[in-house]
Amino acid sequence: MRTKLDKNILWHLPLILAVFLQLWPIIFMASTSFKDMDQIFTSTLNPLPFPPTLNNYVAVLEDFPFLTYVYNTFFIATLVTVCKIATSVLAAFAFVYYEFKGKETIFNFMLLTFFIPITVLIMPNYLLMSKLGLLNTPWGVILPQIADGMGIFLMRQTIRGIPKPLLEAALLEGAGAFGILTKVVLPLIKPSAIAVTIFFFINSWNEYFWPLLVLQDKENYTLPLALQMFISAEGGSEWGIAMAVAMLTSLLPLLLYLLCQKYILSTFMQSGVKG
Amino acid sequence: MQKARIPALFFLLPAAVIFLIFFYWPLAQNLYLSFFQWNMVSPQMKFVGIANYLEVLGSMELLKNLGNTLMFIIVLLILNFLLPYLYSYILGHLVKKYNFFYRSALFLPSTISLAVASILFLWIYNPLAGPLSIILSGFGLESPRWFKENILVIIALSTIIGWKVFGYNLIVMLAAMVAVPKEMIEAAKLENASDWLIFKKIILPMTAPTAVYVFTITVVFGLQYVLVPVNMLTQGGPDQGSSNLVYIVYQYGFIFFQTGKAAAFAILTMLAYGAFLLLKNKYLDKRIHYEN
Repeated sequence: MRTKLDKNILWHLPLILAVFLQLWPIIFMASTSFKDMDQIFTSTLNPLPFPPTLNNYVAVLEDFPFLTYVYNTFFIATLVTVCKIATSVLAAFAFVYYEFKGKETIFNFMLLTFFIPITVLIMPNYLLMSKLGLLNTPWGVILPQIADGMGIFLMRQTIRGIPKPLLEAALLEGAGAFGILTKVVLPLIKPSAIAVTIFFFINSWNEYFWPLLVLQDKENYTLPLALQMFISAEGGSEWGIAMAVAMLTSLLPLLLYLLCQKYILSTFMQSGVKG
Repeated sequence: MQKARIPALFFLLPAAVIFLIFFYWPLAQNLYLSFFQWNMVSPQMKFVGIANYLEVLGSMELLKNLGNTLMFIIVLLILNFLLPYLYSYILGHLVKKYNFFYRSALFLPSTISLAVASILFLWIYNPLAGPLSIILSGFGLESPRWFKENILVIIALSTIIGWKVFGYNLIVMLAAMVAVPKEMIEAAKLENASDWLIFKKIILPMTAPTAVYVFTITVVFGLQYVLVPVNMLTQGGPDQGSSNLVYIVYQYGFIFFQTGKAAAFAILTMLAYGAFLLLKNKYLDKRIHYEN
Protein backbone atom coordinates (compact mmCIF):
# COMPACT_ATOMS: atom_id res chain seq x y z
CA MET A 1 0.00 0.00 0.00
CA ARG A 2 2.77 2.36 0.93
CA THR A 3 4.50 2.18 -2.47
CA LYS A 4 1.22 2.80 -4.23
CA LEU A 5 0.65 5.96 -2.25
CA ASP A 6 4.12 7.27 -3.05
CA LYS A 7 3.67 6.53 -6.71
CA ASN A 8 0.44 8.50 -6.82
CA ILE A 9 2.02 11.47 -5.11
CA LEU A 10 4.67 11.43 -7.77
CA TRP A 11 2.00 11.87 -10.46
CA HIS A 12 1.02 15.17 -8.90
CA LEU A 13 4.35 16.66 -9.91
CA PRO A 14 3.70 16.92 -13.66
CA LEU A 15 0.19 18.15 -12.89
CA ILE A 16 1.47 20.89 -10.60
CA LEU A 17 4.02 21.88 -13.23
CA ALA A 18 1.30 22.11 -15.89
CA VAL A 19 -1.02 24.08 -13.62
CA PHE A 20 1.83 26.48 -12.92
CA LEU A 21 2.58 26.95 -16.63
CA GLN A 22 -1.11 27.43 -17.43
CA LEU A 23 -1.85 29.88 -14.63
CA TRP A 24 1.38 31.83 -14.39
CA PRO A 25 0.79 33.93 -17.54
CA ILE A 26 -2.63 34.96 -16.21
CA ILE A 27 -1.25 35.84 -12.78
CA PHE A 28 1.58 37.67 -14.48
CA MET A 29 -0.86 39.62 -16.65
CA ALA A 30 -2.86 40.60 -13.58
CA SER A 31 0.13 41.66 -11.50
CA THR A 32 1.76 43.64 -14.32
CA SER A 33 -1.46 45.59 -14.80
CA PHE A 34 -1.11 46.88 -11.23
CA LYS A 35 2.50 47.95 -11.56
CA ASP A 36 3.80 51.36 -12.48
CA MET A 37 6.44 51.75 -15.16
CA ASP A 38 9.35 51.46 -12.71
CA GLN A 39 8.05 48.32 -11.05
CA ILE A 40 7.46 46.71 -14.44
CA PHE A 41 11.14 46.95 -15.30
CA THR A 42 12.72 46.63 -11.87
CA SER A 43 10.58 43.93 -10.26
CA THR A 44 9.32 42.19 -13.37
CA LEU A 45 8.90 38.78 -11.79
CA ASN A 46 7.38 39.91 -8.51
CA PRO A 47 3.75 38.76 -8.58
CA LEU A 48 2.69 41.16 -5.80
CA PRO A 49 3.42 44.74 -6.79
CA PHE A 50 3.82 47.04 -3.84
CA PRO A 51 2.32 49.54 -3.67
CA PRO A 52 -0.18 48.43 -6.33
CA THR A 53 -1.27 51.21 -8.66
CA LEU A 54 -4.50 51.74 -10.53
CA ASN A 55 -2.92 54.24 -12.91
CA ASN A 56 -2.92 51.84 -15.84
CA TYR A 57 -6.65 51.26 -15.51
CA VAL A 58 -7.31 54.95 -15.12
CA ALA A 59 -5.28 55.63 -18.26
CA VAL A 60 -7.27 53.02 -20.21
CA LEU A 61 -10.61 54.47 -19.15
CA GLU A 62 -9.57 58.07 -19.70
CA ASP A 63 -7.54 57.94 -22.90
CA PHE A 64 -9.46 55.34 -24.87
CA PRO A 65 -13.13 54.95 -25.76
CA PHE A 66 -12.99 51.83 -23.68
CA LEU A 67 -16.67 51.61 -22.82
CA THR A 68 -17.54 51.86 -26.52
CA TYR A 69 -15.39 48.78 -27.15
CA VAL A 70 -17.07 46.96 -24.29
CA TYR A 71 -20.48 47.83 -25.68
CA ASN A 72 -19.52 46.77 -29.25
CA THR A 73 -18.13 43.47 -28.03
CA PHE A 74 -21.09 42.78 -25.79
CA PHE A 75 -23.62 43.58 -28.51
CA ILE A 76 -22.00 41.30 -31.07
CA ALA A 77 -21.30 38.45 -28.64
CA THR A 78 -24.83 38.51 -27.24
CA LEU A 79 -26.58 38.45 -30.61
CA VAL A 80 -24.28 35.80 -32.05
CA THR A 81 -24.78 33.63 -28.98
CA VAL A 82 -28.55 33.93 -28.80
CA CYS A 83 -28.98 33.14 -32.51
CA LYS A 84 -26.43 30.33 -32.46
CA ILE A 85 -27.98 28.50 -29.54
CA ALA A 86 -31.46 28.93 -31.05
CA THR A 87 -30.50 27.52 -34.47
CA SER A 88 -28.52 24.74 -32.78
CA VAL A 89 -31.33 23.61 -30.49
CA LEU A 90 -33.93 23.76 -33.28
CA ALA A 91 -31.82 21.69 -35.69
CA ALA A 92 -30.71 19.25 -32.99
CA PHE A 93 -34.33 18.71 -31.98
CA ALA A 94 -35.27 17.89 -35.56
CA PHE A 95 -32.48 15.33 -35.78
CA VAL A 96 -33.69 13.50 -32.67
CA TYR A 97 -37.45 13.93 -32.89
CA TYR A 98 -38.09 13.31 -36.59
CA GLU A 99 -37.40 10.47 -38.96
CA PHE A 100 -36.88 11.71 -42.50
CA LYS A 101 -35.09 10.82 -45.66
CA GLY A 102 -31.44 11.80 -45.87
CA LYS A 103 -31.29 12.61 -42.15
CA GLU A 104 -27.77 11.25 -41.73
CA THR A 105 -26.50 13.08 -44.83
CA ILE A 106 -27.99 16.41 -43.80
CA PHE A 107 -26.55 16.00 -40.32
CA ASN A 108 -23.11 15.28 -41.73
CA PHE A 109 -23.32 18.29 -44.03
CA MET A 110 -24.08 20.48 -41.06
CA LEU A 111 -21.35 18.98 -38.90
CA LEU A 112 -18.84 19.26 -41.75
CA THR A 113 -19.12 23.07 -41.71
CA PHE A 114 -17.20 22.86 -38.45
CA PHE A 115 -14.19 21.63 -40.42
CA ILE A 116 -14.30 24.02 -43.38
CA PRO A 117 -11.15 26.11 -43.04
CA ILE A 118 -11.69 29.81 -42.47
CA THR A 119 -9.34 30.56 -45.37
CA VAL A 120 -11.84 29.57 -48.03
CA LEU A 121 -14.60 31.51 -46.32
CA ILE A 122 -13.04 34.89 -45.64
CA MET A 123 -12.87 36.36 -49.15
CA PRO A 124 -16.31 35.30 -50.43
CA ASN A 125 -18.00 36.27 -47.16
CA TYR A 126 -16.16 39.58 -47.12
CA LEU A 127 -17.31 40.32 -50.67
CA LEU A 128 -20.86 39.32 -49.79
CA MET A 129 -20.90 41.60 -46.76
CA SER A 130 -19.53 44.37 -48.93
CA LYS A 131 -22.35 43.84 -51.45
CA LEU A 132 -24.93 43.89 -48.68
CA GLY A 133 -23.43 47.11 -47.32
CA LEU A 134 -22.73 45.45 -43.98
CA LEU A 135 -19.00 46.08 -43.83
CA ASN A 136 -18.01 48.15 -40.83
CA THR A 137 -21.24 47.25 -39.01
CA PRO A 138 -21.80 44.74 -36.21
CA TRP A 139 -24.32 42.95 -38.45
CA GLY A 140 -21.57 42.05 -40.87
CA VAL A 141 -19.73 40.32 -38.02
CA ILE A 142 -22.84 38.63 -36.65
CA LEU A 143 -24.64 37.30 -39.71
CA PRO A 144 -22.26 34.57 -40.97
CA GLN A 145 -21.86 33.19 -37.45
CA ILE A 146 -25.40 32.49 -36.33
CA ALA A 147 -25.31 28.76 -36.96
CA ASP A 148 -22.73 26.32 -35.65
CA GLY A 149 -22.05 22.69 -36.57
CA MET A 150 -20.51 21.90 -33.19
CA GLY A 151 -23.46 23.45 -31.38
CA ILE A 152 -25.87 21.23 -33.29
CA PHE A 153 -23.74 18.18 -32.50
CA LEU A 154 -23.54 18.93 -28.78
CA MET A 155 -27.23 19.71 -28.48
CA ARG A 156 -28.15 16.57 -30.38
CA GLN A 157 -26.05 14.52 -27.96
CA THR A 158 -27.91 16.07 -25.05
CA ILE A 159 -31.42 15.76 -26.50
CA ARG A 160 -30.72 12.12 -27.33
CA GLY A 161 -30.20 11.51 -23.65
CA ILE A 162 -33.85 12.32 -22.90
CA PRO A 163 -35.77 9.07 -22.34
CA LYS A 164 -38.04 8.37 -25.32
CA PRO A 165 -41.09 7.54 -23.14
CA LEU A 166 -41.11 11.13 -21.88
CA LEU A 167 -41.47 12.46 -25.42
CA GLU A 168 -44.03 9.82 -26.32
CA ALA A 169 -46.13 10.64 -23.28
CA ALA A 170 -46.21 14.30 -24.27
CA LEU A 171 -47.21 13.29 -27.78
CA LEU A 172 -50.08 11.20 -26.45
CA GLU A 173 -51.30 14.17 -24.48
CA GLY A 174 -51.69 15.93 -27.80
CA ALA A 175 -48.64 18.21 -27.64
CA GLY A 176 -47.32 19.37 -31.00
CA ALA A 177 -43.66 19.31 -31.97
CA PHE A 178 -43.15 22.85 -30.82
CA GLY A 179 -44.89 22.21 -27.53
CA ILE A 180 -42.73 19.18 -26.89
CA LEU A 181 -39.62 21.21 -27.61
CA THR A 182 -40.52 24.06 -25.29
CA LYS A 183 -42.32 22.16 -22.52
CA VAL A 184 -40.43 18.86 -22.34
CA VAL A 185 -37.08 19.15 -24.08
CA LEU A 186 -35.91 22.62 -23.09
CA PRO A 187 -36.33 22.24 -19.33
CA LEU A 188 -34.48 18.93 -19.43
CA ILE A 189 -31.49 20.13 -21.44
CA LYS A 190 -31.09 23.38 -19.53
CA PRO A 191 -27.69 22.65 -17.89
CA SER A 192 -25.95 21.69 -21.14
CA ALA A 193 -27.73 24.40 -23.09
CA ILE A 194 -26.48 26.98 -20.60
CA ALA A 195 -22.95 25.57 -20.76
CA VAL A 196 -22.90 25.68 -24.56
CA THR A 197 -24.41 29.18 -24.50
CA ILE A 198 -21.70 30.42 -22.19
CA PHE A 199 -19.00 28.83 -24.27
CA PHE A 200 -20.43 30.40 -27.45
CA PHE A 201 -20.49 33.75 -25.69
CA ILE A 202 -16.89 33.47 -24.50
CA ASN A 203 -15.70 32.47 -27.97
CA SER A 204 -17.58 35.25 -29.67
CA TRP A 205 -16.38 37.79 -27.10
CA ASN A 206 -12.81 36.65 -27.75
CA GLU A 207 -13.01 36.52 -31.53
CA TYR A 208 -10.36 38.40 -33.46
CA PHE A 209 -10.11 37.48 -37.09
CA TRP A 210 -13.50 37.92 -38.71
CA PRO A 211 -14.23 41.20 -36.85
CA LEU A 212 -10.79 42.40 -38.00
CA LEU A 213 -11.87 42.02 -41.62
CA VAL A 214 -15.35 43.48 -41.23
CA LEU A 215 -14.80 46.35 -38.79
CA GLN A 216 -12.57 49.07 -40.17
CA ASP A 217 -13.26 52.19 -38.15
CA LYS A 218 -11.80 52.34 -34.68
CA GLU A 219 -15.10 53.34 -33.09
CA ASN A 220 -16.60 50.02 -34.21
CA TYR A 221 -13.79 47.88 -32.81
CA THR A 222 -14.35 45.05 -30.38
CA LEU A 223 -12.01 44.56 -27.41
CA PRO A 224 -9.70 41.98 -29.06
CA LEU A 225 -9.23 44.35 -32.01
CA ALA A 226 -8.60 47.33 -29.75
CA LEU A 227 -5.80 45.35 -28.09
CA GLN A 228 -3.80 45.61 -31.29
CA MET A 229 -3.46 49.34 -30.75
CA PHE A 230 -1.36 48.72 -27.66
CA ILE A 231 1.38 46.91 -29.50
CA SER A 232 3.88 49.31 -30.94
CA ALA A 233 6.33 48.05 -33.49
CA GLU A 234 9.28 47.10 -31.29
CA GLY A 235 7.47 46.00 -28.19
CA GLY A 236 6.83 49.51 -26.91
CA SER A 237 7.01 50.46 -23.27
CA GLU A 238 3.36 50.78 -22.25
CA TRP A 239 3.19 47.24 -20.94
CA GLY A 240 1.23 48.21 -17.85
CA ILE A 241 -1.54 49.74 -19.94
CA ALA A 242 -1.48 46.85 -22.41
CA MET A 243 -1.87 44.36 -19.56
CA ALA A 244 -4.68 46.41 -18.05
CA VAL A 245 -6.59 46.23 -21.35
CA ALA A 246 -5.81 42.53 -21.60
CA MET A 247 -7.17 42.04 -18.08
CA LEU A 248 -10.33 44.00 -18.79
CA THR A 249 -10.85 42.02 -22.00
CA SER A 250 -10.50 38.72 -20.13
CA LEU A 251 -12.52 39.61 -17.06
CA LEU A 252 -16.00 38.66 -18.25
CA PRO A 253 -14.97 35.35 -19.90
CA LEU A 254 -13.02 34.37 -16.77
CA LEU A 255 -15.92 35.22 -14.46
CA LEU A 256 -18.44 33.34 -16.60
CA TYR A 257 -16.16 30.33 -16.67
CA LEU A 258 -15.52 30.35 -12.93
CA LEU A 259 -19.25 30.56 -12.26
CA CYS A 260 -20.20 27.67 -14.54
CA GLN A 261 -17.05 25.58 -14.77
CA LYS A 262 -18.78 22.38 -13.70
CA TYR A 263 -21.36 22.53 -16.50
CA ILE A 264 -18.87 23.69 -19.09
CA LEU A 265 -16.33 20.98 -18.35
CA SER A 266 -18.89 18.18 -18.36
CA THR A 267 -20.55 19.39 -21.56
CA PHE A 268 -17.30 19.69 -23.46
CA MET A 269 -16.22 16.30 -22.28
CA GLN A 270 -18.95 15.01 -24.60
CA SER A 271 -17.75 16.79 -27.70
CA GLY A 272 -15.22 14.14 -28.66
CA VAL A 273 -17.55 11.21 -28.12
CA LYS A 274 -18.89 9.76 -31.31
CA GLY A 275 -22.35 8.44 -31.93
CA MET B 1 -43.18 9.83 -33.65
CA GLN B 2 -43.52 11.24 -37.14
CA LYS B 3 -47.15 12.35 -36.87
CA ALA B 4 -46.26 15.91 -35.91
CA ARG B 5 -47.88 18.64 -37.95
CA ILE B 6 -44.87 20.93 -38.15
CA PRO B 7 -42.40 19.44 -40.63
CA ALA B 8 -38.78 18.79 -39.69
CA LEU B 9 -37.76 21.32 -42.30
CA PHE B 10 -39.11 24.13 -40.14
CA PHE B 11 -36.59 23.33 -37.43
CA LEU B 12 -33.70 22.68 -39.79
CA LEU B 13 -34.19 25.69 -42.03
CA PRO B 14 -32.52 28.47 -39.99
CA ALA B 15 -29.24 26.57 -39.62
CA ALA B 16 -29.40 25.16 -43.15
CA VAL B 17 -29.84 28.59 -44.75
CA ILE B 18 -26.85 30.01 -42.87
CA PHE B 19 -24.69 27.03 -43.75
CA LEU B 20 -25.60 27.23 -47.44
CA ILE B 21 -25.01 30.97 -47.74
CA PHE B 22 -21.97 31.40 -45.54
CA PHE B 23 -20.23 28.03 -45.73
CA TYR B 24 -21.07 26.11 -48.90
CA TRP B 25 -21.68 28.91 -51.37
CA PRO B 26 -18.27 30.49 -50.53
CA LEU B 27 -16.60 27.22 -51.50
CA ALA B 28 -18.01 27.56 -55.01
CA GLN B 29 -17.27 31.25 -55.17
CA ASN B 30 -13.72 30.70 -54.06
CA LEU B 31 -13.22 28.26 -56.89
CA TYR B 32 -14.65 30.84 -59.30
CA LEU B 33 -12.37 33.59 -58.02
CA SER B 34 -9.33 31.38 -58.44
CA PHE B 35 -9.74 31.49 -62.25
CA PHE B 36 -9.62 35.27 -62.42
CA GLN B 37 -7.16 38.05 -61.96
CA TRP B 38 -8.74 40.72 -59.81
CA ASN B 39 -7.93 43.24 -57.08
CA MET B 40 -11.23 43.14 -55.17
CA VAL B 41 -12.30 46.67 -56.14
CA SER B 42 -11.88 47.03 -59.91
CA PRO B 43 -15.13 46.51 -61.84
CA GLN B 44 -13.28 44.29 -64.28
CA MET B 45 -12.24 40.72 -63.58
CA LYS B 46 -9.86 39.14 -66.02
CA PHE B 47 -10.33 35.45 -66.76
CA VAL B 48 -6.94 33.75 -66.66
CA GLY B 49 -7.83 30.05 -66.55
CA ILE B 50 -5.50 28.05 -64.37
CA ALA B 51 -2.73 30.63 -64.51
CA ASN B 52 -3.10 31.45 -60.79
CA TYR B 53 -2.64 27.79 -59.91
CA LEU B 54 0.39 27.43 -62.17
CA GLU B 55 1.94 30.53 -60.65
CA VAL B 56 1.30 29.31 -57.11
CA LEU B 57 2.41 25.74 -57.75
CA GLY B 58 5.62 26.84 -59.46
CA SER B 59 6.65 29.25 -56.72
CA MET B 60 9.28 28.86 -54.03
CA GLU B 61 6.73 30.58 -51.83
CA LEU B 62 4.54 27.48 -51.80
CA LEU B 63 7.44 25.29 -50.69
CA LYS B 64 8.42 27.72 -47.96
CA ASN B 65 4.85 28.00 -46.68
CA LEU B 66 4.30 24.27 -46.88
CA GLY B 67 7.47 23.65 -44.86
CA ASN B 68 6.47 26.21 -42.22
CA THR B 69 2.97 24.75 -42.07
CA LEU B 70 4.35 21.27 -41.43
CA MET B 71 6.60 22.65 -38.71
CA PHE B 72 3.65 24.38 -37.05
CA ILE B 73 1.69 21.12 -37.24
CA ILE B 74 4.48 19.12 -35.60
CA VAL B 75 4.90 21.54 -32.69
CA LEU B 76 1.13 21.87 -32.26
CA LEU B 77 0.70 18.09 -32.24
CA ILE B 78 3.21 17.83 -29.40
CA LEU B 79 1.62 20.63 -27.35
CA ASN B 80 -2.04 20.05 -28.10
CA PHE B 81 -2.30 16.34 -28.84
CA LEU B 82 0.53 14.38 -27.24
CA LEU B 83 0.67 16.29 -23.96
CA PRO B 84 -3.11 16.43 -23.44
CA TYR B 85 -3.21 12.69 -24.16
CA LEU B 86 -0.61 11.90 -21.51
CA TYR B 87 -2.15 14.28 -19.01
CA SER B 88 -5.63 12.91 -19.57
CA TYR B 89 -4.26 9.46 -18.70
CA ILE B 90 -2.75 10.81 -15.48
CA LEU B 91 -5.96 12.67 -14.57
CA GLY B 92 -8.25 9.86 -15.63
CA HIS B 93 -6.50 6.93 -14.00
CA LEU B 94 -3.61 7.84 -11.73
CA VAL B 95 -4.64 10.80 -9.63
CA LYS B 96 -7.83 11.19 -7.62
CA LYS B 97 -7.03 13.94 -5.16
CA TYR B 98 -7.61 17.53 -6.33
CA ASN B 99 -8.82 16.10 -9.63
CA PHE B 100 -11.45 18.76 -10.25
CA PHE B 101 -9.05 21.53 -9.32
CA TYR B 102 -6.53 20.28 -11.88
CA ARG B 103 -9.13 20.03 -14.65
CA SER B 104 -10.52 23.41 -13.91
CA ALA B 105 -7.16 25.18 -13.63
CA LEU B 106 -5.75 23.56 -16.76
CA PHE B 107 -8.83 24.55 -18.75
CA LEU B 108 -8.73 28.18 -17.64
CA PRO B 109 -6.55 29.59 -20.47
CA SER B 110 -9.08 28.25 -23.00
CA THR B 111 -11.37 31.09 -21.97
CA ILE B 112 -8.78 33.75 -22.82
CA SER B 113 -8.84 35.49 -26.20
CA LEU B 114 -6.01 34.64 -28.58
CA ALA B 115 -5.58 38.37 -29.02
CA VAL B 116 -4.96 38.68 -25.28
CA ALA B 117 -2.69 35.65 -25.32
CA SER B 118 -0.69 37.14 -28.19
CA ILE B 119 -0.06 40.44 -26.46
CA LEU B 120 0.71 38.64 -23.19
CA PHE B 121 3.29 36.36 -24.76
CA LEU B 122 4.80 39.23 -26.73
CA TRP B 123 5.68 40.69 -23.35
CA ILE B 124 6.72 37.35 -21.82
CA TYR B 125 9.05 36.67 -24.76
CA ASN B 126 10.37 40.25 -24.93
CA PRO B 127 14.14 39.70 -25.34
CA LEU B 128 15.23 42.85 -23.53
CA ALA B 129 13.13 43.14 -20.40
CA GLY B 130 10.48 40.42 -20.54
CA PRO B 131 10.13 37.92 -17.69
CA LEU B 132 11.50 35.02 -19.71
CA SER B 133 14.64 36.93 -20.57
CA ILE B 134 15.14 37.68 -16.87
CA ILE B 135 14.67 34.02 -15.96
CA LEU B 136 17.12 33.00 -18.69
CA SER B 137 19.67 35.55 -17.57
CA GLY B 138 19.43 34.02 -14.10
CA PHE B 139 20.92 30.93 -15.72
CA GLY B 140 23.51 33.03 -17.48
CA LEU B 141 21.72 32.71 -20.82
CA GLU B 142 20.91 35.45 -23.25
CA SER B 143 17.34 35.55 -24.52
CA PRO B 144 17.01 34.95 -28.25
CA ARG B 145 14.81 37.33 -30.22
CA TRP B 146 11.99 34.82 -30.31
CA PHE B 147 9.84 36.44 -32.95
CA LYS B 148 12.72 37.51 -35.19
CA GLU B 149 14.55 34.23 -35.76
CA ASN B 150 13.64 31.48 -38.18
CA ILE B 151 12.21 28.29 -36.64
CA LEU B 152 12.24 29.88 -33.15
CA VAL B 153 9.42 32.10 -34.33
CA ILE B 154 7.33 29.04 -35.20
CA ILE B 155 7.99 27.47 -31.81
CA ALA B 156 7.23 30.70 -29.95
CA LEU B 157 3.98 31.29 -31.87
CA SER B 158 2.94 27.68 -31.37
CA THR B 159 3.38 27.92 -27.62
CA ILE B 160 0.74 30.67 -27.61
CA ILE B 161 -1.73 28.30 -29.25
CA GLY B 162 -0.44 25.45 -27.10
CA TRP B 163 -1.16 27.43 -23.95
CA LYS B 164 -4.69 28.28 -24.99
CA VAL B 165 -5.78 24.94 -26.47
CA PHE B 166 -4.04 22.42 -24.17
CA GLY B 167 -6.74 22.46 -21.52
CA TYR B 168 -9.63 22.18 -23.94
CA ASN B 169 -8.13 19.20 -25.72
CA LEU B 170 -7.27 17.66 -22.35
CA ILE B 171 -10.91 17.83 -21.26
CA VAL B 172 -12.15 16.27 -24.50
CA MET B 173 -9.57 13.50 -24.22
CA LEU B 174 -10.35 12.96 -20.55
CA ALA B 175 -13.94 12.05 -21.41
CA ALA B 176 -12.67 9.02 -23.30
CA MET B 177 -10.17 8.15 -20.58
CA VAL B 178 -12.73 8.04 -17.78
CA ALA B 179 -15.08 6.04 -20.00
CA VAL B 180 -12.65 3.11 -19.91
CA PRO B 181 -14.23 0.77 -17.32
CA LYS B 182 -12.22 0.71 -14.11
CA GLU B 183 -13.16 -2.97 -13.53
CA MET B 184 -11.40 -3.90 -16.74
CA ILE B 185 -8.17 -2.34 -15.53
CA GLU B 186 -8.55 -3.85 -12.05
CA ALA B 187 -9.06 -7.28 -13.59
CA ALA B 188 -5.93 -6.87 -15.68
CA LYS B 189 -4.00 -5.78 -12.61
CA LEU B 190 -5.14 -8.90 -10.72
CA GLU B 191 -3.60 -10.93 -13.50
CA ASN B 192 -0.36 -9.04 -12.96
CA ALA B 193 -0.41 -7.19 -16.26
CA SER B 194 2.20 -4.44 -16.30
CA ASP B 195 1.14 -0.79 -16.50
CA TRP B 196 2.54 -0.62 -19.99
CA LEU B 197 0.54 -3.66 -21.08
CA ILE B 198 -2.63 -2.21 -19.60
CA PHE B 199 -1.99 1.03 -21.43
CA LYS B 200 -1.29 -0.70 -24.74
CA LYS B 201 -4.03 -3.33 -24.64
CA ILE B 202 -6.86 -1.49 -22.89
CA ILE B 203 -6.41 2.27 -22.70
CA LEU B 204 -4.98 2.89 -26.15
CA PRO B 205 -7.59 1.02 -28.22
CA MET B 206 -10.53 2.18 -26.12
CA THR B 207 -9.62 5.84 -26.36
CA ALA B 208 -8.56 5.70 -30.02
CA PRO B 209 -11.68 7.31 -31.57
CA THR B 210 -11.46 10.39 -29.35
CA ALA B 211 -7.70 10.54 -29.80
CA VAL B 212 -8.24 10.65 -33.56
CA TYR B 213 -10.75 13.45 -33.09
CA VAL B 214 -8.36 15.49 -30.94
CA PHE B 215 -5.56 14.82 -33.43
CA THR B 216 -7.82 16.16 -36.19
CA ILE B 217 -8.94 19.32 -34.43
CA THR B 218 -5.35 20.00 -33.39
CA VAL B 219 -4.26 20.07 -37.03
CA VAL B 220 -7.34 21.66 -38.57
CA PHE B 221 -7.94 24.36 -35.95
CA GLY B 222 -4.38 24.80 -34.80
CA LEU B 223 -3.43 26.36 -38.11
CA GLN B 224 -6.41 28.67 -38.06
CA TYR B 225 -5.63 29.77 -34.50
CA VAL B 226 -2.05 30.52 -35.55
CA LEU B 227 -3.50 33.20 -37.81
CA VAL B 228 -4.15 35.50 -34.83
CA PRO B 229 -0.64 35.72 -33.31
CA VAL B 230 0.95 35.68 -36.76
CA ASN B 231 -1.12 38.65 -37.82
CA MET B 232 -0.71 40.52 -34.55
CA LEU B 233 2.95 39.85 -33.88
CA THR B 234 4.94 38.87 -36.97
CA GLN B 235 2.86 39.46 -40.14
CA GLY B 236 4.45 36.29 -41.49
CA GLY B 237 7.99 37.44 -40.77
CA PRO B 238 10.89 37.34 -40.35
CA ASP B 239 11.27 36.99 -44.11
CA GLN B 240 8.23 34.67 -44.36
CA GLY B 241 9.65 32.63 -41.48
CA SER B 242 6.23 32.33 -39.82
CA SER B 243 4.05 32.54 -42.92
CA ASN B 244 1.95 29.47 -43.60
CA LEU B 245 -0.76 28.16 -45.91
CA VAL B 246 -3.50 29.81 -43.90
CA TYR B 247 -1.86 33.18 -43.37
CA ILE B 248 -0.79 33.52 -46.99
CA VAL B 249 -4.41 33.43 -48.16
CA TYR B 250 -5.20 36.39 -45.93
CA GLN B 251 -2.05 38.18 -47.05
CA TYR B 252 -2.71 37.80 -50.78
CA GLY B 253 -6.39 38.60 -50.41
CA PHE B 254 -6.42 41.47 -47.96
CA ILE B 255 -2.94 42.98 -48.05
CA PHE B 256 -1.72 42.48 -51.63
CA PHE B 257 -5.26 42.51 -53.11
CA GLN B 258 -4.56 39.62 -55.45
CA THR B 259 -7.79 37.71 -55.04
CA GLY B 260 -6.98 35.17 -57.77
CA LYS B 261 -3.79 33.99 -56.12
CA ALA B 262 -5.38 34.11 -52.68
CA ALA B 263 -8.26 31.97 -53.93
CA ALA B 264 -5.88 29.51 -55.57
CA PHE B 265 -3.96 29.19 -52.30
CA ALA B 266 -7.24 28.76 -50.43
CA ILE B 267 -8.39 25.98 -52.74
CA LEU B 268 -5.05 24.21 -52.42
CA THR B 269 -5.24 24.50 -48.62
CA MET B 270 -8.76 23.15 -48.76
CA LEU B 271 -7.58 20.18 -50.84
CA ALA B 272 -4.77 19.54 -48.36
CA TYR B 273 -7.29 19.61 -45.50
CA GLY B 274 -9.61 17.32 -47.45
CA ALA B 275 -6.78 14.87 -48.17
CA PHE B 276 -5.84 14.94 -44.51
CA LEU B 277 -9.42 14.17 -43.42
CA LEU B 278 -9.72 11.36 -45.97
CA LEU B 279 -6.44 9.80 -44.89
CA LYS B 280 -7.57 10.10 -41.32
CA ASN B 281 -10.84 8.33 -42.15
CA LYS B 282 -9.05 5.60 -44.03
CA TYR B 283 -6.22 4.83 -41.67
CA LEU B 284 -7.03 6.17 -38.25
CA ASP B 285 -10.75 5.90 -37.66
CA LYS B 286 -11.61 2.73 -35.88
CA ARG B 287 -15.24 3.41 -36.76
CA ILE B 288 -16.61 2.55 -33.39
CA HIS B 289 -20.28 3.30 -33.54
CA TYR B 290 -22.61 3.61 -30.62
CA GLU B 291 -26.25 3.43 -31.61
CA ASN B 292 -27.83 5.87 -29.18
